[in-house]
Amino acid sequence: MSLAKRRRREMRAAFLMIAPFVSVFALFFLYPTLKVVALSFTDAPLIGEGNWVGLANYAKLLGDRLFYTSITNNLYFVALTVVPTTVIALLIALSVSRLKGRMQALVLTLFFLPYVLPVSVVTMIWAWMFDFQFGILQPLIATITGKPVPVFKNPHWVMPMIAVVTIWWTNGFNVLLLIAGLRNIPADLYEAAALDGATPWQRFWRITWPLLWPITALVLTLQLILQLKLFDQVYLLSKGGPFNQSYVVLMQMYREAFQLNHGGYASAIAMVLFLFIVVLSVLQFQLLRIRGMRK
Amino acid sequence: MFESLQDKGHATGVHLRGARKSFGALEVIKGVDMDIGRGEFAVFVGPSGCGKSTLLRMIAGLEDTSDGSIAIGERDVTHEDPADRGVAMVFQSYALYPHLSVYENMAFSLRLAKRPKAEVDAKVREAAGILQLADHLEKKPAQLSGGQRQRVAIGRAIVRAPEVFLFDEPLSNLDAELRVQMRLELARLHKALGATMIYVTHDQVEAMTLADRIFVLQGGLVQQQGAPLDLYDDPSNRFVAGFIGSPSMNFLAATVESRNGSGIRARPVGQPDTAFDISLAAPPDAGTRVTLGIRPEHLVIRGDGLRVTVDVAEELGGVSYQHGTLEGGEPVIFQQTGVRHGMSGTVQTVAPEEGRIFVFDEGGGRIR
Repeated sequence: MSLAKRRRREMRAAFLMIAPFVSVFALFFLYPTLKVVALSFTDAPLIGEGNWVGLANYAKLLGDRLFYTSITNNLYFVALTVVPTTVIALLIALSVSRLKGRMQALVLTLFFLPYVLPVSVVTMIWAWMFDFQFGILQPLIATITGKPVPVFKNPHWVMPMIAVVTIWWTNGFNVLLLIAGLRNIPADLYEAAALDGATPWQRFWRITWPLLWPITALVLTLQLILQLKLFDQVYLLSKGGPFNQSYVVLMQMYREAFQLNHGGYASAIAMVLFLFIVVLSVLQFQLLRIRGMRK
Repeated sequence: MFESLQDKGHATGVHLRGARKSFGALEVIKGVDMDIGRGEFAVFVGPSGCGKSTLLRMIAGLEDTSDGSIAIGERDVTHEDPADRGVAMVFQSYALYPHLSVYENMAFSLRLAKRPKAEVDAKVREAAGILQLADHLEKKPAQLSGGQRQRVAIGRAIVRAPEVFLFDEPLSNLDAELRVQMRLELARLHKALGATMIYVTHDQVEAMTLADRIFVLQGGLVQQQGAPLDLYDDPSNRFVAGFIGSPSMNFLAATVESRNGSGIRARPVGQPDTAFDISLAAPPDAGTRVTLGIRPEHLVIRGDGLRVTVDVAEELGGVSYQHGTLEGGEPVIFQQTGVRHGMSGTVQTVAPEEGRIFVFDEGGGRIR
């Protein structure tokens, strides 16, 4: 068989193998994405064609006060979740990795369990636990604040509590990533450090922390992207209230698209959020990488 | 050269008394007594699983000692932390800190000890000079070759000027050529520093070439200790006899045919035409079953003796090793010097040189 012929055969086989993915990707991801970009320059309703309006949707967004509220709430939520969940996951991973054999597997499973639950079940569990009348957490809240608090209807409590629910729900995955990272650090480095006279504290800061940093940076970046896309928990627990205190960008997009039938405007919101996430996460990952390199 | 790193009389001996180590129900070190002298190069050698690495890690403090005691110099360190024992260790995997430069790797322990910057710098540069690492101080371990990484690991140990150096199979990750070269460098380093060194290896050539004293371990016990040539010339049991020397000693089952005041006449099993007269201080009774041990280099071609059918000849240039079998199928190796090809497929008659037969009893103990 000639070389050219063999190459052609290989190409055909390669194309056949990626075809299922490419077709599904093009149909359900690429096409809708391009459609959203196009839609954001029109005044189209959710279904049907609209007129080209240029950058009018984006101009309108710049003057939309609810959009600024949403962005602020998104950033507040990021501050409440990204770093705290990473720190908590790291502490759990460090403790779990000290356990041996079956005990380790068992404890790890317990921490991972919430992650397998669907969001509706998670919010149902926590809505009951925080229930104003019957919630088992209300006595605890009462001992701290002096009286029970309807947390998802209280403007100060709502975002922090959604953050708690989110961390509880998603932390297992971060623990898993960090444990994998910890396992990759050879044990003899700790032995060498022990012989070199490093205290446990020094062993953590001079060996574990710098060697785990690539994983930590990955966890931080994945968390940033995930938490900026906050929607389900808010929709199910507080509907964005009270007083828009938990209103977030995706919430606004959902309302514009599916409740107010503003397909074009909703697309513009989606585009802005998309760019926002891309810029922030790329920026963050680069910053973290530079920090890692300097070490 | 390297005055500040040279031993200033603080090298010390290492003394183990009834040292034992168990992992759960499994006892891997079954009561070891040893005295390693000041400035001595001691080598623990044995097959894998014999406990040699565990014993080294017990001395380092990386494994608890289940029973018995370990002293470094006058000091009982059995329950002390690794860092307080005054030992430095070179690991088989090198265990270099991958995120730190060569310089930082070597400076690590001194910086933890909060030594003055100038002193740290002087010591690191001096060690780098000895180990030919001066041009690589800013590199990360990943950018170095295997031999260079090994040198960094040694450098990290010598900047600490420990009382005792511990090496855990440090050369086994290197290729053959580099291993020979590093072996020489280690021997020079030991001479230059005059420090006490304990070295673990499964390679008896490393043991023979480096050691002042070899400890042969097997089954968690020291089988024999002594200078390399003493172990070669006078093994105290069959295990040591087979382990020291390359290729290994030939072993032949034999029966004592007769005894007299100064020795025995022993006939190998299945060899009606051959018997050897061996002089022994304490000859066993006639009829006793024994094992005869003869090194390949002590078998010479003669008119009478063992008839060996040679099937494979390993020709190394200067010497060749002839691998073959006796009529009963027992494998025999004999060494030839100055003989070129042509022995494979032939039958040769070989016999041991005078006084070069070791006799072992059925339990593997030596009969002298």
